[in-house]
Amino acid sequence: MIKFTGEHLLIGQIGNFITLLIFCSSLVAVFSFYKATVSKEILEEKPWLKLGKISFIISAVSVVALFLTLYLIIYNHYFEYKYAHQHSKRSLDMQYLLSCFWEGQEGSFMLWGFWNAVLGVFLIKTAKKWTSPVMVSMSLVQFFLASFLVGIYLFDVRIGANPFVLMRNEFPDAPIFQDPEYLSKYLTDGNGLNILLQNYWMVIHPPVLFLGFSSTVVPYAFAVAGFWKKDLAGWVRPTMPWALFSAGILGLGIMMGAAWAYESLTFGGYWAWDPVENASMVPWLLLVAGIHTLLIFQHTGHSLKAAFLFISLAFILELYATFLTRTGVLGDTSVHSFTGEGSTLYWHLILMMFLFIVIPLVFYVINRKQIPVNNKEESMNSREFWMFVGSLLLMISGVYILVLTSLPFFNKLFGTNWAIGKDVEYVYNRIMVMVAMIIGLLTAIVQYLKYKDTTRKYIWGKLAIPTIIAFVISLLISLYGDVSYDKYGVGFLVAIHMAIWTAVYSVVANAMYFITVLKGKMKAAGSSIAHFGFGLMLVGILISSSKKELVSENRTGIAIPGLKDAKGRDENPLENITLIYNIPTPMGKYVVTYLGDSTEPKNNKVYFKIDFSKTDTVKNTTEHFTVTPNAFMVKSEEGTQLSSNPGSKHYLSSDIFVYITSWLNPDNVKDTASFRNVSIKNGDTVYYSNGFVLVNKVLSANKNDNKDLPLVDSAWLSELTVMSKEGQSTQVTPAFFVKDGQPTFKTDTVMQQNLILGLQRAENGTVQLAVKESSAVMRYITLKAYRFPWINLLWLGTIIMVIGFMVSMYFRMKTKLYVA
Amino acid sequence: MKKLHILGLVFIAVVIAALISLMGDLSTYDSIESARKKEGKFVHLIAKIDLSEPVVYDPLKDPNFLTFTAVDSLGFTTKVVYKNAKPTDFEKSQRIVMKGSMVGETFQCKEIVLKCPSKYKDEQGMQEKKLRAVSELKKETSVQ
Repeated sequence: MIKFTGEHLLIGQIGNFITLLIFCSSLVAVFSFYKATVSKEILEEKPWLKLGKISFIISAVSVVALFLTLYLIIYNHYFEYKYAHQHSKRSLDMQYLLSCFWEGQEGSFMLWGFWNAVLGVFLIKTAKKWTSPVMVSMSLVQFFLASFLVGIYLFDVRIGANPFVLMRNEFPDAPIFQDPEYLSKYLTDGNGLNILLQNYWMVIHPPVLFLGFSSTVVPYAFAVAGFWKKDLAGWVRPTMPWALFSAGILGLGIMMGAAWAYESLTFGGYWAWDPVENASMVPWLLLVAGIHTLLIFQHTGHSLKAAFLFISLAFILELYATFLTRTGVLGDTSVHSFTGEGSTLYWHLILMMFLFIVIPLVFYVINRKQIPVNNKEESMNSREFWMFVGSLLLMISGVYILVLTSLPFFNKLFGTNWAIGKDVEYVYNRIMVMVAMIIGLLTAIVQYLKYKDTTRKYIWGKLAIPTIIAFVISLLISLYGDVSYDKYGVGFLVAIHMAIWTAVYSVVANAMYFITVLKGKMKAAGSSIAHFGFGLMLVGILISSSKKELVSENRTGIAIPGLKDAKGRDENPLENITLIYNIPTPMGKYVVTYLGDSTEPKNNKVYFKIDFSKTDTVKNTTEHFTVTPNAFMVKSEEGTQLSSNPGSKHYLSSDIFVYITSWLNPDNVKDTASFRNVSIKNGDTVYYSNGFVLVNKVLSANKNDNKDLPLVDSAWLSELTVMSKEGQSTQVTPAFFVKDGQPTFKTDTVMQQNLILGLQRAENGTVQLAVKESSAVMRYITLKAYRFPWINLLWLGTIIMVIGFMVSMYFRMKTKLYVA
Repeated sequence: MKKLHILGLVFIAVVIAALISLMGDLSTYDSIESARKKEGKFVHLIAKIDLSEPVVYDPLKDPNFLTFTAVDSLGFTTKVVYKNAKPTDFEKSQRIVMKGSMVGETFQCKEIVLKCPSKYKDEQGMQEKKLRAVSELKKETSVQ
């Protein structure tokens, strides 16, 4: 047995103890709350309830302690722990230490556990008579989350991934662990954080997103509790504010993720229909459908079954999303899916999903006869009818997204090998544009309808003005907005225009509803505000996507004057343009110049300075700005690679978005070309591959006969003109000096022509021109640039929508939630 | 029958129609050999970059032209042309998924998805290899 030095084993043992404590206390909580729920008498119930509360609070406090323990390990760089070694390194900035948590599986489950604990404690304090049945679900989730972290062996199968495992136990065969001082000798630094995660959005968006994720269990828990306690209508009221909270925060989290993708990924957009994005959006759709059906039930007694279904599904699909993104079943389809720890997590999550599907299913079947139904048929002029249609549409669009996203999982199940074809985005967009169209129309009109029935006179009286205003605005957008996205034909373009019309209608109608019907009263304004924001989001999405413009359009294959294109271009314009240092290059409406780069040695980051300017016909500069995209240099055996971060110029009405796709690192280049020497005299012509050099003058001077040469013994100077095939001419003046018998050369470079010229003296005394053609003289970058018009509408709409959710939640919390 | 029921049926019909129309857009994962057999058809290839053959990308000549040789698990190889910039970490990737179609002898690739070890840190093998390499290196220096 080797005695290792320098390890900090105590903190890991504390961590393991805390994990086990959470595991056990949440199990006790599940059992106690269960006993409290099923007990018939208050005397029997009380002690169980108390025990349940105590054990849940113990587990909640432990989760916080667990978080701190792991944080200390990362913060103090204890690289004997695998988690710290894999996800952090010494040079990492303080603010990114938190991101190390979400990079790994264990830290993500810990974050989920943290929010679940916070929500649970909050419910213990507020849920009153619902506490025990609701807390059964909450504790059960807590128990499962703890089981993902215990890492204990059950008949040779490791259950969960423990964040406190040691490197030397994970890789026992590695020879470095034969050395008792391995820690101070070899494991002196960690692998570091994935550079994509070194972004401020990555520090703040996962906590918000995970709060959204984890809060979907609360409405689920209330729904199950209601059916369990046979209070089939009573659960609706307390569920409402939680469902609104969850939808608001989840929506915010998803859009913050979109903002991260927009600002730091090189997809060229905020949404790529990536499985990770889809999997988080579908539960949100279900949750919103759930909120609407809950509302219908509260006002009319219709659609309780649908509400139960949607609310339960929202959480189950959240679990399914975790399953898809964490176990690696998505495999090759996702750009940023996380691969899991393999087959144990796969079955572990399947077990969890199975359990959380069975629970509501069983209660539904038991109670199916008693579920309150309203057999009176809805009027076509009623609010509830169209709200239901909208909810159904949300669910169906969710199903569509889910089926497509699950293709790799189906392939795994059925042994098929299907994949979405040529154009992934269009496969989604062509359906979603229809959904947007209908949803826009519904959110505009349905607010003006009353529950049960509405007279036509009322509808037209209130709707006339917003309809006219929206019509005028939409018409102006269609006529002068230059929305002409015809990549997929006229049909799709018409659909985009119609969707813009209904989205504008939704914005206008909801704003007017707030002013004319609600008269600015906030109490009932939540839904108008949320729908107004959602409408703005739709307008932003539709306009920014259809008017997204490739600035770095490259129709020639090459944008450098002087270099010919070998391959003819028949297809769509290509997306990358190469810029040579200090050479202004036309790019779309701009002239762009690569002004240079600077390196930040601490984290191997290179900043590129790129100048954009736009001139009008009389050469006045109308627009001028610099963009600074940056990139991490990742050193590896294969040489230095770039990992690019976009730079952008933000205007109120559009963003210019630039990122580096390729860069020639001068340090990596070895100049292999050699000089070719040609004897010259005045008036000579020397050819090179892309033109010729005219020798205008060759001068020689000697210290003895020229008093202007005090510093050297003799000098040979030349004046040359380089003429390229394209007709560009450049003056250069290479020279050659001798001092104390030692030659020195002053070479001259023609960047555009890859040409280096020097002067030399041959053995026989004649002057020679040294010509070298080498790409090593070039400093260049290749980049892509886009313009996103009106993207700010999307961000603004998101914020307003979330505010709307919160306003609704606030006023619903103030009403009496718990009717006996 | 209630209006809602009719509406529900309409919705279901629409979904089925959407899914059926989708079938036309589905493609398949193929090997290089089977992709050759359906020349011109849009397929997904899973392969590795053959690093013994040159990977050609010269942004000065053409920033939208990358060509290399791919080899799949059955040992078949094909030349690939990708009219875009060379992706980051391209040579480092262990596996690539390419979307495109065979045109003659070359695979005209529209999109490349890389599977990189750097993004997937839990690959124990990689980790172990690295640890071994580190310790070998240190051993050598200590011997000297």
